[in-house]
Amino acid sequence: MPTAWVHFNAQRKAAGQELLALTADRSGTLRATWLDPSDGRQTWMDWGVSGGRFPSLSVVLPEVAWDEREIHDLFGYLPEGHPDLRPLVRTPRWPTTFLPLGGSRRPPLWREVEPDLPALQVQGEGVTIMKVGPTHAGIIESGHFVFSLIGENILHLDVHLFQNHRGLETLLEGETLDAVPRVVGRTCAADTVSHQTNWALAVEHLSDFTAPPALTRQRVVLLEAERVLSHLNDLAQIPAGVGFQVAHQRALSIKEYWQRCLKALFGHRFLFDTVRPGWAKATSGEALVEAVRGLRQRFGPWRRLVEGHVGFQDRMRGVGVTSLSQVIRLGAQGVAARAAGKPFDARQMLPWYGEFEVKPVTGVEGDVKARFMVRLEELEESLRILEAAAPRLPASPPRPAYFALPPDPSGRVVTFTESPHGLNVHDVTLESGRVVRYHIRAATFRNWPLLAQAVGGNAVADFPLINKSFELCYSCTDR
Amino acid sequence: MVKAVRSLTIRHVDAGSCNGCEQELTALTGPDYDLQRYGLDIVASPRHADALLVTGPVTDTMFLPMLRVWEAIPAPKVAIAFGDCAAGCGAFQHCYASHQGLAAADIVVRGCPPEPGEALEVLRRWLASLHGGWNAPPRSAGDAK
Ligand code: SF4
Repeated sequence: MPTAWVHFNAQRKAAGQELLALTADRSGTLRATWLDPSDGRQTWMDWGVSGGRFPSLSVVLPEVAWDEREIHDLFGYLPEGHPDLRPLVRTPRWPTTFLPLGGSRRPPLWREVEPDLPALQVQGEGVTIMKVGPTHAGIIESGHFVFSLIGENILHLDVHLFQNHRGLETLLEGETLDAVPRVVGRTCAADTVSHQTNWALAVEHLSDFTAPPALTRQRVVLLEAERVLSHLNDLAQIPAGVGFQVAHQRALSIKEYWQRCLKALFGHRFLFDTVRPGWAKATSGEALVEAVRGLRQRFGPWRRLVEGHVGFQDRMRGVGVTSLSQVIRLGAQGVAARAAGKPFDARQMLPWYGEFEVKPVTGVEGDVKARFMVRLEELEESLRILEAAAPRLPASPPRPAYFALPPDPSGRVVTFTESPHGLNVHDVTLESGRVVRYHIRAATFRNWPLLAQAVGGNAVADFPLINKSFELCYSCTDR
Repeated sequence: MVKAVRSLTIRHVDAGSCNGCEQELTALTGPDYDLQRYGLDIVASPRHADALLVTGPVTDTMFLPMLRVWEAIPAPKVAIAFGDCAAGCGAFQHCYASHQGLAAADIVVRGCPPEPGEALEVLRRWLASLHGGWNAPPRSAGDAK
């Protein structure tokens, strides 16, 4: 007989809802928050941990397998019936009593052992094990991958992340409102505006403040400018995965142009520190239009180059395929999900985007090519939104959009935005202007298990290509 | 580093970065900065490197793998702290799993993240300092040993 907890969550999933966050707090309560894409409404359920245990959802809801392992590692609550309870974040260097979200927040005395964790490997005749990382031969974030190979092909990939785990959520506990943005905005450079906006939305919601159009438009501009940057980066990396250096280098140059524009328009090449509660960095419509025009001039020829290159197109086709059913089963998000045909884009749920009529760009094949093409189209869509927003911004010089908010909001709220990588969620609890609990669930966290499945059957030499087509960031996932 | 060199090959290790520093490092390899022009390069193997470049506050899980890479680089060698996190003054300084950056860095590139133009200048200035600074006379053919 399934418990009410399992029943509630399974039912939400069956109804086609999106899981926003599943997390716990120090008092021993779990909360699962779901989003209904048809009307943008949230529902949630709380479940008390009893005797340090709670019923695992992972068997009926595989997408939460990692969330539950994380809860086990950080809080020490045991998900009963979890099919694979190996440590996810924790390493053998952590003293067994150290629970960063359950006990002391202070750094422990690390044990003098290697951080390696047991890997899931295929055994049998002719199977080779290939380990990659955690340090890499290029400029890449750290992650450890254990491949089980048969010949050149991948039988199984066991992904070991969290090498970049710093303990952001613990750090944020007890922080004042002023101290949060610096940390939250640096959860990930590629999705920084999205993270900053989630925080701003949380404080504004708990302060009963609704941002006026003058402010929300500046934020839409920042979010879309970030999407352009991140997609340019990812589009630049995919040709590198197949040795198409001309396209790679030229795209890096276009990205550089855009970063210089961002620096000129907003003061930072990645848009760090551009959104705060009641505030967003402003730019003038004229300057924005000018920047977008320059980008179009550069991007158009590049797009023709990559689209007209038959070898490159062939090389991407049929590689790293994901099916729509896999995507739905694992709750995948963002470009990776849309490229397989899942028409979900959280921008449609944000009232600010109403005036711009965003349509999700979807693909069908779910392969590297589909993910590449979805990004191409989304980038153009973002440029269109920027151009549509520009005339509605104040003329130069820009007026700063600032609104004073009460200093001591309290309560709990779940906020989300569509980052360049997908649905980005923050579950924030404040008490009298201080953080009690801060949970960050980035889209990439949900997509890593999908990537591990997508590489099965592919040549191991194509792993970099497939990996780059997902371009999952490690920092958001590891925190 | 004791030996005076004209080039510096670098192996990168991410030890808890937010990936901003990585992206700017990648920008250095692009056509706009093209670090190879100055005898600088990012190389795949520590065996080919003169320097270890670290980004991020040095998380506990990356601490030992980072040391392994350092040990694999042949001496003489230098350590580069790239970005405020690695320099010990970043946003994640007080996280429980942070080792507070690279205390003993020979070259420190500040910024969150460092802008590629400035990073390039810091690295080139350091190289030049081995030869008496920017204004030292150019090396003549007779110098080659
Ligand atoms: S210095 Fe800044 S950009 Fe670099 S890793 Fe740290 S937070 Fe990110």
